[in-house]
Amino acid sequence: MTRSPWMWLGVLGAAALILGITGGAAAQTAEIPLTIEKNRFDPEEIRVKAGAPFVLVITNKDGAPEEFESRDLRIEKVIPAGKTLRLRMPALKAGTYSFVGEYHEKTAKGKIIAE
Amino acid sequence: MGATFVITLREAFEASLLLGIIYGCLYRIGARASFHWVTLGAVLGLAASLAMGLGVSFLSGPLIELGPDVVGAAIMFLAVVLLTWHGWWMRQHARTIKGDVEQHVSAAHGSRRIWVVGLIAFTGVFREGAETVLFLWGLMVEATSAAGWGSVVGGLAGVAVAAILGWAVFRGGQRVSLPRFFAWTTALILLLAAGLFSTGVGRLEGLGLLPITDPVWDTSWLLSDKSVVGSFLTGLVGYRARPSLFEVLAYWVYLIGAGTLLFRRPPAPRRPPLARIDLPPAPDPASSRRGTQ
Repeated sequence: MTRSPWMWLGVLGAAALILGITGGAAAQTAEIPLTIEKNRFDPEEIRVKAGAPFVLVITNKDGAPEEFESRDLRIEKVIPAGKTLRLRMPALKAGTYSFVGEYHEKTAKGKIIAE
Repeated sequence: MGATFVITLREAFEASLLLGIIYGCLYRIGARASFHWVTLGAVLGLAASLAMGLGVSFLSGPLIELGPDVVGAAIMFLAVVLLTWHGWWMRQHARTIKGDVEQHVSAAHGSRRIWVVGLIAFTGVFREGAETVLFLWGLMVEATSAAGWGSVVGGLAGVAVAAILGWAVFRGGQRVSLPRFFAWTTALILLLAAGLFSTGVGRLEGLGLLPITDPVWDTSWLLSDKSVVGSFLTGLVGYRARPSLFEVLAYWVYLIGAGTLLFRRPPAPRRPPLARIDLPPAPDPASSRRGTQ
């Protein structure tokens, strides 16, 4: 089993994924803070430059985890209570992309406007 | 309460549907003795989900930030491979079982590989397990009022109903004729895997590993993927109202590729040559009369 080619394929694949994700961010990527408080996002509207990747620095000030989800962008990320996570966002074409806090969808809503 | 019920029902049903199918397949090919592999895989999946939930909540560092994304994507693609294998494996069995008679899986029928169903069960549970665990945990943390506890009850009820539906799938699979059972489960597995593959590719776009491609069409007027039914279909078969080019390509490449693999007319089955029975040479009537000479 140690020499199984499938295992090596899996290791290579995982390494490629990690390198791909970490290597993607340039040194001067814009960082945009986003706060989750009382099951709402602040700000609820985020404006970014189209065509440039950026980083959302999400802080969850509530006592329970929240899941940042953007169906439009195919991104899902759980932010545990009290934690701050950096979420790498890809370069976006001009447009509006909505996101929600999946665990509190009625109140946690927002959108990213790329222009 | 209703909102949390729908969320956990959706997440848990993706797992329980798969478990119902896997248990059902083992039952119909007479491999009930291998049920424990599936149970073990599911239990380990649950344990891994709990560990992931705890890890993400209490540990820190770049590995914790990236880990779940990498693991999540890897699990999706692994599940696609495993489901494809399962579909192929079931077709092999379908060919050796004639008519409507169930036969016992003999040791020679590839039961060496049967433990893989445990791995399928694991990926099925673990895929959405961590999210559901964190969601329920969050609900309990926040439950300070009657409404809060209502949400917890709704969330737990969703999991329970999903389990019941999975059980119903298992039982339903026992009542159908064998050829129909094989055809339906293979088709269902193909659809599930195609959806997973497409969703996985979409995740890679979201992670920045693949370039983001434009939506190819927009069917949100027909069924929004943010609606209850739409989100169910998203989880089960990867439905998207505005799928990206890569997602559409991935879906159809998989469906056509695996469909061909699983549904093409098989070559003539290698039956043991029953007509050729080697008998010892007929005793010579003349010599037997001479007795022991």
